[in-house]
Amino acid sequence: MFASKRLSKELSKLHDKLPPGITLIKADDFTEWLMDIRVIDSNPLYQDEVYRLKFVFSQTYPIEAPEVVFVKDEDHPIPWHPHVYSNGIICLDLLDRQGWSPVHNVESVCVSLQSMLTSNTKQERPPGDEHFVKHNKQRPKDINFVFHDNQV
Amino acid sequence: MSSPEPIPPPNDRRSSRASSNASLAVPTLDNTREPVELLVVGGPPSTPSPLALRASNSPSSNRRKSRIAKLPPDVHLLEYLSACDSNLICLICHSPFDKPVQLACEHFFCRECLDHAWDAQHDAQKTCPTCRGRVDTTREPLPVPKIIATMLDELVVKCPNTKSGCDWIEQRVNVHDHVLLYCEYTLVDCPDFDCHLYITQKDFHKGCLHYTEHQRTTCPNRSTACPHCSVELLRLELNAHVKDICPKVIVPCPGTLVGCTVAVERADLAGHAKGCSMAIMAPYFRDQQARIERSEARLEPLSRKVGILEDGLSKITNMLYPPNANDSSFPVTNPLDPNSDAFTTAPLVPTPDFRLPPASFPPVPPSHDTSQTPLTNPTPPPFDSQIHHLLTLHGSLRDEVSRIANALTDYEGRTNMMIINENQRVKDEMLHTNAAINGMRMQLHWLVSATLQQRTGSTNSTGNSTSRAGGSTDSNASGTQGTNSNLGSRSAGASATLHLPLRRLSDSTRQNTKL
Ligand SMILES: [Zn+2]
Ligand SMILES: [Zn+2]
Ligand SMILES: [Zn+2]
Ligand SMILES: [Zn+2]
Ligand SMILES: [Zn+2]
Ligand SMILES: [Zn+2]
Repeated sequence: MFASKRLSKELSKLHDKLPPGITLIKADDFTEWLMDIRVIDSNPLYQDEVYRLKFVFSQTYPIEAPEVVFVKDEDHPIPWHPHVYSNGIICLDLLDRQGWSPVHNVESVCVSLQSMLTSNTKQERPPGDEHFVKHNKQRPKDINFVFHDNQV
Repeated sequence: MSSPEPIPPPNDRRSSRASSNASLAVPTLDNTREPVELLVVGGPPSTPSPLALRASNSPSSNRRKSRIAKLPPDVHLLEYLSACDSNLICLICHSPFDKPVQLACEHFFCRECLDHAWDAQHDAQKTCPTCRGRVDTTREPLPVPKIIATMLDELVVKCPNTKSGCDWIEQRVNVHDHVLLYCEYTLVDCPDFDCHLYITQKDFHKGCLHYTEHQRTTCPNRSTACPHCSVELLRLELNAHVKDICPKVIVPCPGTLVGCTVAVERADLAGHAKGCSMAIMAPYFRDQQARIERSEARLEPLSRKVGILEDGLSKITNMLYPPNANDSSFPVTNPLDPNSDAFTTAPLVPTPDFRLPPASFPPVPPSHDTSQTPLTNPTPPPFDSQIHHLLTLHGSLRDEVSRIANALTDYEGRTNMMIINENQRVKDEMLHTNAAINGMRMQLHWLVSATLQQRTGSTNSTGNSTSRAGGSTDSNASGTQGTNSNLGSRSAGASATLHLPLRRLSDSTRQNTKL
């Protein structure tokens, strides 16, 4: 109830106005939304590419963080970033249990991810990406990431 | 709602929620253990007593209670007429604050939202959802400035029942009262005992509409065939169809009233009625019948009225001229009475029957006549006319009234005298008391002065010579004070009295003159 009230407010605001480079793709219900983000600045790593984000909300949103991952299909690759695993899982403190705060919202998460990509210059995956992608069965928010690098 | 609620200490949160649940009577999902807590919480005088609680749990009153229970409006779902200032928006629920509180870091949240956010946090380390600053839960959250509450109260909202048709638009502070008290579109429990649906307050008196609605639109068995004409129709409308419409039902000729015994199918009835003279006559007969009934109904109260008047009249007669004052010399004819002929034919048997001006009345029901036969009431009416009689009565009443008025004036005068006397006595007593109080004041004054003199006499003995030199005129004044106030303490010396404040002098003289 709380979640749907809050999400309906967010949705009407997103329909109203969106920051540049962010598009609302699908929000049919209050459990799963799709958003597209684009890097505006001319960063050669992300030129001409659009990335698709999947938001999964729990009943306790916004008290609990939404689950946010990049999804991969023929038009939407997973962006290069030392905090983004090749299966789309994002290692960002904002989306972690400790880092999340109910004052964040879908738009602010998109903007944060957008700026995280904008400032990145390394075309690499997090250390141990291959192993992680192969063996991880946990849901993103249950993973205990070690935030090894706070500059990005 | 207008004034921010006093914020309970954080560790008291649960109890405050429980009591608010009680006052709103909202069925909550997690109220399995709340009622038990209610008994323990106690608190405001409005909390129902355990006895009342038990009574309200019995099934019958439970039903009645839930009928008046309405859901209070959810402030988070209100539709605002204009976009609200972004500074008044709660960052957690993204709607204008509802019962806002603030933290020491000057971040504001709805009370409920903050509680939600904190539910997920460790008890020992609550943080501000916005800035993650540590919160001292013994001190925070703090009440918000009054102006914030006022700005929120003045936001203009639409009634939450706008979709149902309510066009109420007003300040938010009033929405609670509107929905719970005034809005016609507020949902209440359906008045039907077996129906568990809701109905708008406006339609409450119409009874359960859900069943009808169900029969009309959703019931799989809703249609049936008329047993007479086999037309398909709603089961709900079958009775009305058979009674008034169905062409195959056998109905009697409208002339039954007058004696026609024909009964045919409704479709053929028109044909019969055209030829049946009784059916043609029937409307006129019905008209006549109705008119007669109306007249009879009007007659009934009139005859009762006549009876009452007659009764009263004979009583008055009896009172004025008791039965033993039998004097047949009085004229007994009533000039207005058309029946007077009967009286003149038998002048020796006087009649007691005083009819009121009779022309407009039908003959009185026989019961009156028999009860007032000459034999049962032989008193002759000893006056010319009823008017005369009434005038006499009026005169005597007037006398009585003036007598009572005199008595009243008399009584008033006596009461006044009594009050004046009593007042005088009380005044005297007060004078005595005053005198006594003044006496006591004098004594007290004397005692105080004496003590003061003793004290100053012992401490100021060294400074006596200088003060005496500077205050020769003052010593005169103090001398007069000594004699006036009758203190008899001259032995203490004029030098000692010098040190009394001069104000006392005037004070004591005033008292002297008063006595
Ligand atoms: Zn809020
Ligand atoms: Zn703060
Ligand atoms: Zn309304
Ligand atoms: Zn109903
Ligand atoms: Zn029929
Ligand atoms: Zn007939």
